[in-house]
Amino acid sequence: MSGDNPYQDDHGNHDASVTRQGGESSIDPTRVSGPVVEGAGGPFLIGDRMTGGYGKGPDILHDCTIAVEKGEIAVIVGPNGAGKSTAMKAVFGMLDVRTGSVRLDGRDITRLTPQDRVRMGMGFVPQTHNIFTSMTVEENLEMGAFIREDDYRGTIEQVYDLFPILGEKRRQPAGELSGGQRQQVAVGRALMTQPKVLMLDEPTAGVSPIVMDELFDRIIEVARRGISILMVEQNARQALEIADKGYVLVQGANAHTGTGKELLADPQVRRSFLGG
Amino acid sequence: MDFLNAIVALANFVLIPAMTYGSQLALGALGVTMIYGILRFSNFAHGDTMAFGTMVTILVTWLLQSWGVSLGPLPTALLAVPFGIAGTAALVLFTDRAVYRFYRGQKAKPIIFVMVSIGVMFIYNGLTRFVLGTDDIRFADGERFIISAGDFKRATGLSEGLGLKTTEVLTVVTAVIVVVALFRFLNHTRTGKSMRAYSDNEDLALLSGISPERVVVVTWIIVAGLITIAGVLYGLDKSYKPFTYFQLLLPIFAAAIVGGLGNPLGAIAGGFVIAFSEVGITYAWKKVLGYLLPDALAPDSLVQLLATEYKFAVSFMILVIVLLFKPTGLFKGKSV
Repeated sequence: MSGDNPYQDDHGNHDASVTRQGGESSIDPTRVSGPVVEGAGGPFLIGDRMTGGYGKGPDILHDCTIAVEKGEIAVIVGPNGAGKSTAMKAVFGMLDVRTGSVRLDGRDITRLTPQDRVRMGMGFVPQTHNIFTSMTVEENLEMGAFIREDDYRGTIEQVYDLFPILGEKRRQPAGELSGGQRQQVAVGRALMTQPKVLMLDEPTAGVSPIVMDELFDRIIEVARRGISILMVEQNARQALEIADKGYVLVQGANAHTGTGKELLADPQVRRSFLGG
Repeated sequence: MDFLNAIVALANFVLIPAMTYGSQLALGALGVTMIYGILRFSNFAHGDTMAFGTMVTILVTWLLQSWGVSLGPLPTALLAVPFGIAGTAALVLFTDRAVYRFYRGQKAKPIIFVMVSIGVMFIYNGLTRFVLGTDDIRFADGERFIISAGDFKRATGLSEGLGLKTTEVLTVVTAVIVVVALFRFLNHTRTGKSMRAYSDNEDLALLSGISPERVVVVTWIIVAGLITIAGVLYGLDKSYKPFTYFQLLLPIFAAAIVGGLGNPLGAIAGGFVIAFSEVGITYAWKKVLGYLLPDALAPDSLVQLLATEYKFAVSFMILVIVLLFKPTGLFKGKSV
């Protein structure tokens, strides 16, 4: 992060009695969106032949394409360091896409900031730090609905229907919940804007297999309500089983693309990524 | 009778003054803790911002007095406080725009902000001295006492008097109102919750559509309100002097850290811990002990643990003890 900017050097200060650590922003809040271009159709959401990286750093993605159709589940899998999360963040506008484009519902949104993409109907659940730990479950959901001017009580009830445990713990600080419950809060928060696309960065990281199965069930249920899902997953086999579309990335480029079933059946994918 | 006298003396010299001072520190510490929690740095310009707010209030008070406006038994300064808050808010927002915003754009580390705030402190410091000078200024008017020590003695027949100043009652009442309003705002309004969300997780707040710049502006306005009120109450109760206000930085920081930085409840508790310790340790207990103990045990010395000149040492000692043994403060703050 630091390097050439002297202001980002803390000179070895770790004194938390004068400076507060944790929770700082990594997204540049001063950036302003460029124009949205009306364009050709194609899939509902597509990151088309994206090449790019973080800030002034080297390219991490090379000509990478990720797409998801309406109401479908698309899963990005691949080995560690393949650029899976990076590809998804590129679709969400969190890094510089130098060539290629991102289109949502036929409109080119490549130059939009992440916060403006949320207003366009994209929901994003980061892998970590994805809830407000000091706030109650219900307050987390309220903050998710911050951009909504209308009455969002109904959406909160829908989230409680989807995740009943959150309804029971609505007055508890989200930071006191278990790992699986926190992920439910995170997904619930993102659903509060009533997004058209929900993007999940490793939603099952660090949860037990039972909780993982349950989370996948909920994600399928969300997709059934007509919300497209784009998901990065470590547990490739389970994720591909529920996927309509799968993308195997290697070193920031598309290695294999197909339906979940095709990829599970592909001998090369099985050998390289699914452990036989 | 002796026991009653002891209680009255204790209330008159320790409990009431400490309660008042504690309320003033609590309001100041709330400002420090809000900037720490939301803007992520300790604002060293806090004491001098407080002096600026009080200065504007004094100027408006004089203007009102010259027009013959008064509040009867209450100090005229109360009418001038909204102007003081507005002036201070304008100053801190201008400073934020001209100075701090640049560093936010650079994503500067919090320690850089701390250093910047020291620079801002020196500028404010000069500004207040340039306008009102360095001398002591008393600007309290209206009724001085609600109960005077003499009246109390006559009414009760006790040999100890209990004086209750208007400003003391005013301080405690105002502090309670302000604190209740602040907590309601933070916990029950959309803007208040969005500030807590931003404090908790900036990225997620941004992705939820919360505007960081708006949170920053609202924070500065609230802080301007809190410290102007704290400064005016302190000035009414004692007197206004720029250097004293600058020195208040230490007990205010100590209060915020003792309570747990970033925790508003802690700031209030910390304010009272510091105030009661400071007053208790610098008070000469001879009189109270004289009433309570049998004559044979009555102390000859003043039984004063520290001379009042050393009162700032108390804040320091508490600060050191807390950072050694419970660095997160009494209420689980973030200064680990």
